[in-house]
Amino acid sequence: MEVQGLQMTEAKTAPGLFKRNPPIAGEAEAIERAKAGDAEAFSKLYALHKRRVYTLCLRMLGNVSEAEDMTQEAFLHLFRKIGSFRGESAFSTWLHRLTVNLVLMHLRKKGLQLVSLEETINPSEEDSPKRDFGSRDTQLAGSVDRVALERAVASLPPGYRMVFVLHDVEGFEHNEIAGMLECSTGNSKSQLHKARLKLRELLRRSESTAQAEVKEAAL
Amino acid sequence: MTLKNSSPIPLSCAEFQEQLPDLFAAGSGAIHDPQLTEHLKTCENCSALVRDLQYIADQAKQLLQPTHEPSDSVWKKIQEGLAADSSLVPEPSKN
Ligand SMILES: [Zn+2]
Repeated sequence: MEVQGLQMTEAKTAPGLFKRNPPIAGEAEAIERAKAGDAEAFSKLYALHKRRVYTLCLRMLGNVSEAEDMTQEAFLHLFRKIGSFRGESAFSTWLHRLTVNLVLMHLRKKGLQLVSLEETINPSEEDSPKRDFGSRDTQLAGSVDRVALERAVASLPPGYRMVFVLHDVEGFEHNEIAGMLECSTGNSKSQLHKARLKLRELLRRSESTAQAEVKEAAL
Repeated sequence: MTLKNSSPIPLSCAEFQEQLPDLFAAGSGAIHDPQLTEHLKTCENCSALVRDLQYIADQAKQLLQPTHEPSDSVWKKIQEGLAADSSLVPEPSKN
């Protein structure tokens, strides 16, 4: 089976991604050496990018052992294909697109429907009473830290999480995501919107739980 | 999308929120339609919603900084994979 999307056209890269993924010192040289098969250069590239690639895999998969397997796959793939990297996009953008495509292929092999995953929301959550969206005392702005957000993202249904991570974290455009997920751009936009709505709900809930705990502790 | 509508009919919250996926995709700073800006100005629910969603989208960028690190065994396996590759380098074909 041909790996879809891995014959990546670098020209397609959105200019914003280059800005978000600026080249790293020493990277260009390591890339050139890696193209010539230099083992130390591979090691350097791995050291520079392993955390981001692994974090991306972990967020998409939600599982340490699968995330490690896919990180391994991604770097092996990278080192085998590095000769085709022409430097027209940021290296990390190229690497991340490769990683995303491998992870998606892995998920498809497991038979997961990537876009209709929104249906897998835990029904009991849906039955819970709706929060009052109008209450002004629970404004999110300024109150959410990185840890809380990371936790909320991890508890999103997989289909929402995928689009949120690809768009809001990784900075891919809707048309790219649509291509990766084999859905329409409209679908990608609406999934993202639902993901953010769900996050808002989760973050508000965790805030009010935290407040309740403080109150209880005070009693 | 027919956002350019000079009719002054006020939007309902549902109608306003229906537009949000496209508005955010277009850049939420770019709300020019008078009906939408009017609703946003006058509806606290929807303005709080837009503010929160924008905030979430902005905060998400923080997550680009990696927080997790793969175990050392990953690099070992990659090296093994690369070694296997090079041992498989085909001899120049004799056909
Ligand atoms: Zn409203």
